[in-house]
Amino acid sequence: MRKNDAMDSRPTRAPDHDHDPLFDALRAEMATLDTPPAVEQALLQAFARQGAPAAPPRRWYQALSARDWALGGGLAGVALALVAALSVTLPRMQAPSAGMQAAASRPQLVRADDGAPFIALDSAERIEDEPAPRMVETVVPRSSLVALGLPLTPDNAGDAVRAELLVASDGRALALRLPDIPAMPDGGWIAN
Amino acid sequence: MTTAPATTDIDLLRAMRSGSADAFAALYRRHQGPLYRFALLRCGAAGSAADVVQETFMGLLTGRFQFDPLRGQLPHFLFGVARNLILKLEEAGRRHLPLGRPGHDDDEDGLDLPDEQACPLARVLGNESAEQVRRALALLPPHYRDAVILYEMHDLSYADIAAVCGIDIGTVRSRLSRGRAALARRLQPLQA
Repeated sequence: MRKNDAMDSRPTRAPDHDHDPLFDALRAEMATLDTPPAVEQALLQAFARQGAPAAPPRRWYQALSARDWALGGGLAGVALALVAALSVTLPRMQAPSAGMQAAASRPQLVRADDGAPFIALDSAERIEDEPAPRMVETVVPRSSLVALGLPLTPDNAGDAVRAELLVASDGRALALRLPDIPAMPDGGWIAN
Repeated sequence: MTTAPATTDIDLLRAMRSGSADAFAALYRRHQGPLYRFALLRCGAAGSAADVVQETFMGLLTGRFQFDPLRGQLPHFLFGVARNLILKLEEAGRRHLPLGRPGHDDDEDGLDLPDEQACPLARVLGNESAEQVRRALALLPPHYRDAVILYEMHDLSYADIAAVCGIDIGTVRSRLSRGRAALARRLQPLQA
């Protein structure tokens, strides 16, 4: 057995490392012991037989070369630019015109009735089959009719609109007519 | 290839994986001493200790044991590998023992029962007082022996021992305290 203290990497003893003096003799005696030389010879022979030892399995990102990283980064950049460009252009392409918006927001059963918009709130069959409908006149805020497609501007947003409600015998509203609002023949609204 | 004394373990590992036998030899010479002394005190037989050192470095060579620098220092990793190999040896030896032996729990039930199989009491050291301490150490249950050897002989901190043995720091303190107390009882005649 031989000694190789010069190469030992024993840590420096910490000042607060309270050693038991019982071990002093054992420490001194053991300090001269090393692995038998045959072990080193066997290991070096094994190294020579094996060649370079197996490196630990590389993580996926360690396996990529600089060229791979550059290629990946370039592709990612192009993809990002494409997404950014699409996010800007698509909303514009898909944005409907004002006329299309009005048509889309127009209720399906809007008709012009004597120059005023007639808005069916129920099916045509239900309205026609109602045995005892009655008309109720009321005034509603113009802003409450926005959901039905009535155009709203900052000037008329606070206005009230006269409305005629067609009410079924059970109290359910069947249709709505706005006599003060001009309507187009096809049932479209005329903004005013 | 020449390796400067200041070369770190990581540099040597890297060079070793590139095929440098000198780097592997330097790494071995740097760490074999402490590892052999630990294994010798831990399993009590020079032949077994040399086998453990050889198998530890063979594992490093073949990639069977993967050292991750992010998880600690190489010496502690090697201590952990050697300890596991010794535990396997002890486990194999225990299969041939009669039933009813005390387990490896943290109580002191096993303190007074020498583990002749795992720790032969054949003379290892020339110095009489050092040999008595070694024999008293060999009679400790293995889990106490780990903590005492790593702390008293290798200057490892509680945290380092916890990492090597895979236990928490509180358990290290407890095992160290109990191991020392048991050693003091056994070596009372020597101290008197």
